[in-house]
Amino acid sequence: MSETRIEVKDLVVRYGDQVAVNGVSFTVGRGEHLTLLGPSGCGKTTTLRAIAGLEHPSSGKISLEGHAVYDAATRTNVQTEQRGVSMVFQSYAIWPHMSVFDNVAYGLRVRKQGQHEIKANVERALDLVQMRHLADRGASKLSGGQQQRVALARAIAFSPTVVLFDEPLSNLDAKLRAEMRVELRELQRRLGITSVYVTHDQEEALAISDRVIVMNVGVIEQIGTPEEIYNKPRSRFVADFVGSANLIKGKPAGDGTFVTEGGTVLKVMAPHMPHGRETEVAVRTAYIGLEPLAGENHVPGKVRQRLFHGDFVQYVVDSPVGAMIVRRPPTNLLPEGADVTLSFSPEHCVLLEA
Amino acid sequence: MADASTGISRPRLNGQALTTLAVLLIVGFLVLLPMVFLVEESLNVGDPMAFPPVEFGIANYVAIFEEDLKTVWNTLIIAVMATVMAIFIGFTLAWILTRTNVPGREKLERLMELPYYMTPLVGALAWAVIAGPKSGFINQMWKAVGGTGDIADIYTHFGIAWVMALFEGTVAFVMISASMKSMDPALEESARVMGASKLRTMLTVTLPLVMPGVLGAMLFVFAEMLGSFAAALVLGIPGRIYVITTAIWDSTLSYPPDYGRASAMGLSLFVVMFFMLSFYRRMIRRGTFTTISGKAFRPRPMEMGRLAWVLFGVCALYVALAVVFPIAALLMTSLQRFATVLLDQAQWTLANYETALSLGPVRTALFNSIILGLGVATVGVVIMALLVWIIYRSQLRGRGAIEYLVMFPQAVPRLVFGLALLWAWLNIPIGIYGTLWLLALAYFTVMLPLGVRTLAGVVLQIDKSLEECARVCGASWAYQMRTVTLPLLKPGILAAWLLIFMACVRELGASAFLMGPNAKVIAPSIVSAFATSGTELTAAMALIQTFTVIVALVILFRVARGMTKELQ
Repeated sequence: MSETRIEVKDLVVRYGDQVAVNGVSFTVGRGEHLTLLGPSGCGKTTTLRAIAGLEHPSSGKISLEGHAVYDAATRTNVQTEQRGVSMVFQSYAIWPHMSVFDNVAYGLRVRKQGQHEIKANVERALDLVQMRHLADRGASKLSGGQQQRVALARAIAFSPTVVLFDEPLSNLDAKLRAEMRVELRELQRRLGITSVYVTHDQEEALAISDRVIVMNVGVIEQIGTPEEIYNKPRSRFVADFVGSANLIKGKPAGDGTFVTEGGTVLKVMAPHMPHGRETEVAVRTAYIGLEPLAGENHVPGKVRQRLFHGDFVQYVVDSPVGAMIVRRPPTNLLPEGADVTLSFSPEHCVLLEA
Repeated sequence: MADASTGISRPRLNGQALTTLAVLLIVGFLVLLPMVFLVEESLNVGDPMAFPPVEFGIANYVAIFEEDLKTVWNTLIIAVMATVMAIFIGFTLAWILTRTNVPGREKLERLMELPYYMTPLVGALAWAVIAGPKSGFINQMWKAVGGTGDIADIYTHFGIAWVMALFEGTVAFVMISASMKSMDPALEESARVMGASKLRTMLTVTLPLVMPGVLGAMLFVFAEMLGSFAAALVLGIPGRIYVITTAIWDSTLSYPPDYGRASAMGLSLFVVMFFMLSFYRRMIRRGTFTTISGKAFRPRPMEMGRLAWVLFGVCALYVALAVVFPIAALLMTSLQRFATVLLDQAQWTLANYETALSLGPVRTALFNSIILGLGVATVGVVIMALLVWIIYRSQLRGRGAIEYLVMFPQAVPRLVFGLALLWAWLNIPIGIYGTLWLLALAYFTVMLPLGVRTLAGVVLQIDKSLEECARVCGASWAYQMRTVTLPLLKPGILAAWLLIFMACVRELGASAFLMGPNAKVIAPSIVSAFATSGTELTAAMALIQTFTVIVALVILFRVARGMTKELQ
């Protein structure tokens, strides 16, 4: 990731009195797949649209390939069509009055390519998404998944270096979404495209990204690899929004320990420099065992409720540190009312920033 | 990225900003300037023919309350009666057609539009033939069966209100059925499940839920009725029942024409309507229409059993009163030497049509109206499409102001706007007064809200990302408009073209003031034929006008269907 393709610096976007994006900064390296993740209204789509030039920021700077395309300081604002980025829209934005071929050829025709070149490039793009056989079909006669593929083919047909994705999979059903996720990741790797991807689906974000940015109310909560985000959430918001976590209240007692409100002492890890005012630790539901293991935190508990989900079983366990949610594989089912020992290692017991 | 670097060095001042400014100036000139002249003239208390006025005062306004109280009273009472009838009819029909399984629902629903296409002018003429005192068809039949005196007289307050409700009240049906359609049928079904009868469900669930919609329609229709002109002109003047609009018309015909008085009345009417419509708009914005959730519900009409046929009868009665009887009456009249409903006395003839079509002024008037319709519709939609795009799609500053300006003529009664334009163009030193050019300009201006609203409906349906995607693909604004926006807008443009063409051919309010001796149009000519020559000739002219609109409609619908097929 040596070479920076996109740089966003102190970006602010306002709608009237409302601040949609409040000072966001990040960079995207060549070939990197970066995901903006957050709940609706967190400013992720606005940030993406600002990169494309579809939103007018209030201040900050956006550079593509080292050239400023927006800079509040020098009043630069390059028009969308001159930024050379490509984008896949949430609604796919397939033009219903054109055929599949014409849709995909649009960006090539705008760039005044020759007939043969256009044909070759469109076919190449359609091959990549396995839609070549439908090239002559009217775009209004496509299913959702097919529209998705055409939108993707259109976005990559003119060989852009940067592709922006605005929740491209959110209108597909769960099964198709899982399939497309795999294909998208493949395609992105194969073509070496630099991409920024917006989603509110944390599973999707973790699965397909090189790096994830978690956003909330217009600011960045955390930037990191999927593993970092999952294993070392910085804030309560990230712990809560990405994956599922138990939050235990208390206060740090120095030397890597934490005293819960109920007086239990836990060994914890702090991804940041602790300053003593923290009030919570987060423990992922998947990282808790129900058998004692050496070297880990141990808390006695009693199973209050068991919910069988199929791929996993969720237990609610009453314990001195509060009701803990534990997700285990569906092997060795425990009955409700069973006495257990909750055990989780200190490195999975993350001290959250206050 | 080479492209980007050229863009960086010079943030280009795009054509859009300049376009906006130009549009703002031109539309402002067309829409607001006449009103300014009108205000000036309404304050003129000196020589009414002086341009510009030299003496100013409020005497013209005072006079409304001193001398025209009866007119104000007439206006109010007729508007109230017409509104009550229109809402009652509109609600009943809307409920039947959206919430019950009346037979032939879809066909009936389409028939409901017909009275609107017939226009209040034609409707008023027809009802004058049907229910006029003495020679009206109803009275003729009454006497033929041995009755004495008249049992029907349309030249009354109620008669005027009746015609207004039938032919201008269609909007109430449209608005109320829209709010009924957007209501979740489950709300009614749960009442039925709890044991409520159909009538009880209607009264306790349906009615309260659509009440905001009904109130909105009431306000809107009442404002429209205050500014209504055609019915009062045809049916009010013979019985000397003047409403504000006809009083305005009358005071410009007196000698010397009292433009000051007319302007004061026109402005007062405008102010009242403006406030009512603003209030109406605020009501919608505040979301008082709680039943309208924007969600589309699968219509699940109530099973009415045998009662469905009774409801069908109600709809059929409305169609008969508003379409079948009027057209039949006009047809019968136009085909006779002396109009009578008693067939054994009828002398059938085509002479009235021959006269109408051979009479020089009538022919030119018809021709002029069609030319104006074609011209204004064609040039108008192009400009309106551009306006709509600027208002609803561009990011430009000042687009709110443009929207406001463009929609402004809606709040001005046609007649008042005609008066304002007349006064403005008497004063503006460009010699188009008394020519078709002024009429074209006037038509374009008063059709702005209609055209823009129709086009906006289509533009707002087009997902914004379809356009954004074109830009991201590298298309310039002009290229995007040509390859994406305009092709998608095609059906909407066609619909707007049709509506504007029809509205031009039937235009009466503004034309009445702006028509010159060498630039006659059809609707005012029909009115003057009614006042000076026989009903038989007038009926023929009215039918020719209606027929022209219908022919144009049929041809264009064919074209439209061909084009939409091609699109798919």
